[in-house]
Amino acid sequence: MMTKGLVRLQRLWSAYWLLLPALSIYVVFLLYPMVFSFLISLYQWDGLAPVKKFVGLENYRVFFSDPASLLALKNNIIWMLFMIAIPVALGLVLAVILNERVPGRTAFRAIFYSPTVLPLVAVGIIWSWIYNPTFGAVNSFFRLVGLPELTRPWLSDPKVALYSVILTGIWQGTGFPMLLFLAGLQTIPRELYEAAEIDGASRIQSFWYITIPSLRETFVIVVSILMIGSLKVFDLIYIMTWGGPGRLTQVMSTWMYFNTFVFHKAGFGSAIAWIITVASLGIAYPYIRAMSRR
Amino acid sequence: MSVRKYRYWKETVFLIILAFFFLFPFGIVVLTSFRTQQDVVSGGVFALPNSLRWDNFPEAWRIGKFRVYYRNSLLVTLIKVPTGIFVAALAAYPLAKYRFRIRDSLFAFFLLGLGIPINIVLLPLTILLERIGLLNTLGALFFPYIVFGLPFQILVLRGFFRGIPDELIDAARIDGCAEFQTFWRIILPLATPAVLALFIIDFLATWNELLMALIFIHSDEWKTVPLGLMYFQGQFASSYPIINAGVLIAILPVLGVYILLQRYFVSGITAGALKE
Repeated sequence: MMTKGLVRLQRLWSAYWLLLPALSIYVVFLLYPMVFSFLISLYQWDGLAPVKKFVGLENYRVFFSDPASLLALKNNIIWMLFMIAIPVALGLVLAVILNERVPGRTAFRAIFYSPTVLPLVAVGIIWSWIYNPTFGAVNSFFRLVGLPELTRPWLSDPKVALYSVILTGIWQGTGFPMLLFLAGLQTIPRELYEAAEIDGASRIQSFWYITIPSLRETFVIVVSILMIGSLKVFDLIYIMTWGGPGRLTQVMSTWMYFNTFVFHKAGFGSAIAWIITVASLGIAYPYIRAMSRR
Repeated sequence: MSVRKYRYWKETVFLIILAFFFLFPFGIVVLTSFRTQQDVVSGGVFALPNSLRWDNFPEAWRIGKFRVYYRNSLLVTLIKVPTGIFVAALAAYPLAKYRFRIRDSLFAFFLLGLGIPINIVLLPLTILLERIGLLNTLGALFFPYIVFGLPFQILVLRGFFRGIPDELIDAARIDGCAEFQTFWRIILPLATPAVLALFIIDFLATWNELLMALIFIHSDEWKTVPLGLMYFQGQFASSYPIINAGVLIAILPVLGVYILLQRYFVSGITAGALKE
């Protein structure tokens, strides 16, 4: 009995030993910086000078009353709504079609997913070239078909700049939900559809009454992941518009970057980082809960 | 049979039109990268090139300093990806197979990382890395990259390890295997499919990362491919053929890995997010 207890103890020890590398990296490079970042957010500080001024939660209050910051928040919400609605709808339609024995389905799946594996820097540069006001493909196309009044500087016209980048985001971001929906569809038993067909249900009815309800969990996961991703959006905006024209296309992440590292408002920037984090963790909560209960 | 053909006809048309739009940007890049500046400016973007100009690629490679960026990105990915997955596997094993009191809370704690954006660590890590002398070296990227890969990797590997029968582990223990040996000789080899998928996913994520590299690396000597490509574009913004050749040079490795290994990759993405 003595040895059995000893073995158990040994095993427990090794559990902690095995966890130690991951835990220590987590604590040093994630938890400690998070606490540090919160402390910085309570100060007015340029990020360099040895003197800081304690201002309490002032930076957070300023964020929610500053028009430029609220615009970044609003832009981010617009980005999120588009980046959920269109990639989810399009991804679902594509998944449903590609789940059937359509000729060339493997090739189509690879095509629709391929933009997702690209570095966003490259995606931004590619689309900046497509949107180029003088030589770009979009304006060239409109001139070619005799609609020159539709040409515009897509990335510097205040009315369309954000939406131009959103279109790029959709091109890049539709493959991922498609892939998850395809996996979700494969878990629905074929017999359900066969039974519905025998009962005289149309394909549309099957879609609404079998496919959609069966994909409930997939929807939660897809929407959570897309929302978290939308809150983090940085690369495309940074590459394509640099937050401009003016500050009109700033989103939370770029706004945090500009304040912290360009305007040297480290305290304010850290407050923005914390606001993004709290929002992101709130959104991620159902997803994390679903994952940790397995 | 004819009914079935009709059914797919509509869908195929839809797929082909959409595929055209998805491939269009790639087509533009390829078309532009083989032309001369003069040809692009006078002939328009849709015209076929006067002649295929291969010189754009060696020129972009040389003036874009891609040799340096490739070296850096390869070094970072080749060291970081295996290390990160190994650390994740070490942690995932007890989280899947041992019974101890705080196991589930510990797992949930690791998963929190899925919802934590990079922004929160940027400034504190700049200060920390500066203090330990790693800022503006490739080493600066090593631990931060590992941290943000861990949550997803632990999630996937724990799920996979749980599917391995306990009897195998017990048998190894009875044979006198130490815990680490059991993990190394029995568990990890069985998890090869999951590990392979994670390798590909993490390779892509690491190769493509911009934000942390942008903050932690300043000198040309240590820039990674995305960061280098960004500066390259800033410098030669109006030399369209050269820029597009640079884009192709930068994306070739990820496209290659994706096309060759997509089978493993797809199963990994979906395993992490959906399956048990």
